[in-house]
Amino acid sequence: MGNMTLGKYLPFDSFIHRLDPRMKIVSLLFLLISVFFDAGFIGYGIIGLFVCLVVVLSKIKITYILKSLKPMIFMMSFLMILNVFMIQKGTVLFSIGPLAIYSGGLIQTAYILIRLVLIVALTTVLTATTKPLDLTLGLEHLFNPLRKIGFPAHEVSMMISIALRFIPTLLEETERIMKAQASRGVDFKEGSLKDKVKAIVSLIVPLFISAFQRAEDLANAMESRGYNPDGKRTKYKVLKWRMSDTLSLLTTVVMCVGIIVMSVI
Amino acid sequence: MSIKFEQVSHTYSKNTPFQYIALKDVDLAIEKGSFTAIIGHTGSGKSTLIQHINGLILPTSGIVTVNDFVVDANNLPKVLRPLRQMAGLVFQFPEYQLFEDSVEKDIIFGPKNFGVDEETAKQKAKEALAMVKMDESYLEKSPFDLSGGQKRRIAIAGILVMEPDILVLDEPTAGLDPQGAKEMMELFKALNDQGKTVIIVTHDMNQVLNYCDHAVVMNKGEIIKTGTVEEIFKDPEYLETLSIDLPIMTHFIHELNKNGFHIDPSIKDLDTLIKAIGGK
Repeated sequence: MGNMTLGKYLPFDSFIHRLDPRMKIVSLLFLLISVFFDAGFIGYGIIGLFVCLVVVLSKIKITYILKSLKPMIFMMSFLMILNVFMIQKGTVLFSIGPLAIYSGGLIQTAYILIRLVLIVALTTVLTATTKPLDLTLGLEHLFNPLRKIGFPAHEVSMMISIALRFIPTLLEETERIMKAQASRGVDFKEGSLKDKVKAIVSLIVPLFISAFQRAEDLANAMESRGYNPDGKRTKYKVLKWRMSDTLSLLTTVVMCVGIIVMSVI
Repeated sequence: MSIKFEQVSHTYSKNTPFQYIALKDVDLAIEKGSFTAIIGHTGSGKSTLIQHINGLILPTSGIVTVNDFVVDANNLPKVLRPLRQMAGLVFQFPEYQLFEDSVEKDIIFGPKNFGVDEETAKQKAKEALAMVKMDESYLEKSPFDLSGGQKRRIAIAGILVMEPDILVLDEPTAGLDPQGAKEMMELFKALNDQGKTVIIVTHDMNQVLNYCDHAVVMNKGEIIKTGTVEEIFKDPEYLETLSIDLPIMTHFIHELNKNGFHIDPSIKDLDTLIKAIGGK
């Protein structure tokens, strides 16, 4: 559990770390959109190079990004097998009985895999270089214009930040309860299906109870400090938009628009 | 020798940016039938140390021997299951491990996992419940309707029912009222008198003085002192550098001696102390 890499913040000091969270969120949005446009291998090559550049700038080890792909391996191989055999486009490369592999199928599959890798790599870079609280602060700013049409921007970002804040706590709690039940002879790794269901119940019930307890405690603590979602509040940390943010955003947007234009033509 | 640590080190999240060395080359021997306290700061490695005893954590390097079991870096969880029964581990705030809809079911959960049949387990559950000073009327109740202190007792009964030779307790009295804490410690002392090896992590030095016979002092992942309780409390200046307080009684004797008395600082009970001061 402690080895989970997905979504963890890595406290380094780098150019990417110092960028404004708003810039990073908007850039991610643009990049994700352009990943879904089919701009051929050249397009993906460009995005791939861009991601590599960002990873190098962020001082995150490439092995760390690869590790975060690990949980996806099963899904990726499943998608790969399914796509290779199901898509019947282009010329037949070779066939075994009723199964045939088409050239179009191979290309499509490669696209899907590349997309998945790029998406995971991009989001990992965002969460690894941005503190969860900065991330929600950025989101709140970006949501703010929506307030005019009645969107509860502050409440939503407060909920997101609380959820993010409690992920490590709940993981810790899970590990603790698993250990406590393992001390009572539960085997979470092996055993029959019935044993496994029992093992999971012995984990889920205490976990839910403590999560609800925590939620109630937190609500009480917030209320006793006079929390009011409609209250006008000032920020301890004020986001600062710098020249480097404008330039980085511009670079990203130009590249993304380029890719999108490429794919449309 | 019941438990033996040889050059045991443990590193959390090895080879990641979050790498953290929790234990460094720990050597430790705990005698069969002893009552050992493990003391030290929060974060000094106490919890990591005790989880090695029932194989929940495997050493990154080194060997832990518990009776006939050898725990090292390459153990498989399957091999370690019988060890979990032999060395019962009670976590801090164990009430969070309760999950069944009746107290009885929750207590027999452990024995059933270790292959004890339901009837025998139920019989043992009654005995375990009596050990933690609760009567049989609680068997059918839901553990979630009980008070915090009662839940704690049920959770401890859930470990005692497995009849472990070694009982490992991580701050079992944290958050209990003084009376409940005293009863709990007396229970552990009684189990120790029956021959069980008891290991307890505690911050309460009075408990160490009153109930334990040996103590292990930890600091920053290393064992810096082991010995009998008397030996540990002999050197108050040294303990102060580790911000470990003396038990009230030992502290009192040291204060008296500073002001001209000559009283044996290893005195543990009030009657002897009164006589030593010159009362009746």
